[in-house]
Amino acid sequence: MTLQQIYFGYFATMMTIISLLVVSRKNPVHSVLWMLVLFVHMAGLYLFLNAEFLAAVQIIVYAGAIMVLFLFVIMLLNLRKEEKEFRLQKQWPVSAVTAVLFLVVLVSILGKITVLPELGEYSIDMINAQGSLMTIGNVLYTKYLLPFEIASVLLLVAIVGAVVLAKKRIE
Amino acid sequence: MPGTYIPTDYFPVLVILLIASAIGLGALVAGILVRPRRPYAQKLTPYESGNPPIGEPRSQFSVKFYIIAMLFVVFDVEAVFMYPWAVAYDKLGIFGFVEMMLFMFILLIGYIYVWKKGAFNWE
Amino acid sequence: MVPLNWYIILSAVMFSIGMFGFLSRRNLVIMFICLELMLNAVNVSLVAFSHYLQSINGQILVFFVITVAAAEAAIGLAIIIAYYKNNPTIKVDEINILKG
Repeated sequence: MTLQQIYFGYFATMMTIISLLVVSRKNPVHSVLWMLVLFVHMAGLYLFLNAEFLAAVQIIVYAGAIMVLFLFVIMLLNLRKEEKEFRLQKQWPVSAVTAVLFLVVLVSILGKITVLPELGEYSIDMINAQGSLMTIGNVLYTKYLLPFEIASVLLLVAIVGAVVLAKKRIE
Repeated sequence: MPGTYIPTDYFPVLVILLIASAIGLGALVAGILVRPRRPYAQKLTPYESGNPPIGEPRSQFSVKFYIIAMLFVVFDVEAVFMYPWAVAYDKLGIFGFVEMMLFMFILLIGYIYVWKKGAFNWE
Repeated sequence: MVPLNWYIILSAVMFSIGMFGFLSRRNLVIMFICLELMLNAVNVSLVAFSHYLQSINGQILVFFVITVAAAEAAIGLAIIIAYYKNNPTIKVDEINILKG
């Protein structure tokens, strides 16, 4: 076993276990906290995939902002009685079979990927020489100009929609 | 070569993580080992010399907190978009400046809308 | 040497776990968290492809996915709050009224 396989083994086991914990906790607050641990592990995995910027964004946006929003909503809804009841829907065996079958299909197809198309120009050395941020900035603001501007419209919709939906409650 | 890459620059971060977890866990373990443990019913009540609490300890949060958190999420994403722009600014030049101003202008519309709606008023 | 397939299988495992949670949990907030889990599983595979194919497009796509996830969380949670105001429940099998 090489060092790379050891770190991958660590991340893969931890991420699988934590994902199972996230979907199986009774209390939504515990789910959110396990999700935070999962995000930290994902950021670590991104570092090993030479995506430093995404590792930082994962921590800043997902762990720092989105999960805080989830925690606020759980506190806002003030759910106390929910925790003692049965946590799955009636059809849960069907969903379990569906998910396992889906996994089997995906693994049997994706496990066989061997032929890779020709490699692009962004090799590890090139990204490291330029810096992760510089590389992403150069491509994001030239080639992906339109999606970038559309992202701002999406965020505008999010602001307006959330204020309209939540503001009714204040008045 | 993909698949063999190890981010050696981040080795200090790993060391700090290990030291931080060692200190945190060490403090807890040391506390368990050292502290005396003599509980009795009176000591375990939430307020040792007060009335027993009535009702739910958790109270309903105000929805204002949600609006603030939601605005934080959106403007956090906006700020994250500005990091690569700031780093690559020299190469992008005036073109990059204009497109980022357009991006920020569209979000400014949302900001003004929220302001006019009075979501920032606390009372 | 870690082959690309391992990352893709890890992503598939996470996605299936998220899918199971989304289909079977009763709590609306936890269903939302499972949705985030599925998005993140896809992100792992995109970053892995980006690294192994030596292309930057995957990373930029992940960046946009994170943006969409932020917008989706803001709107979706606002809808849950707006619904909760009228009918104080977040169990999906009891949510059957669309009238506001």
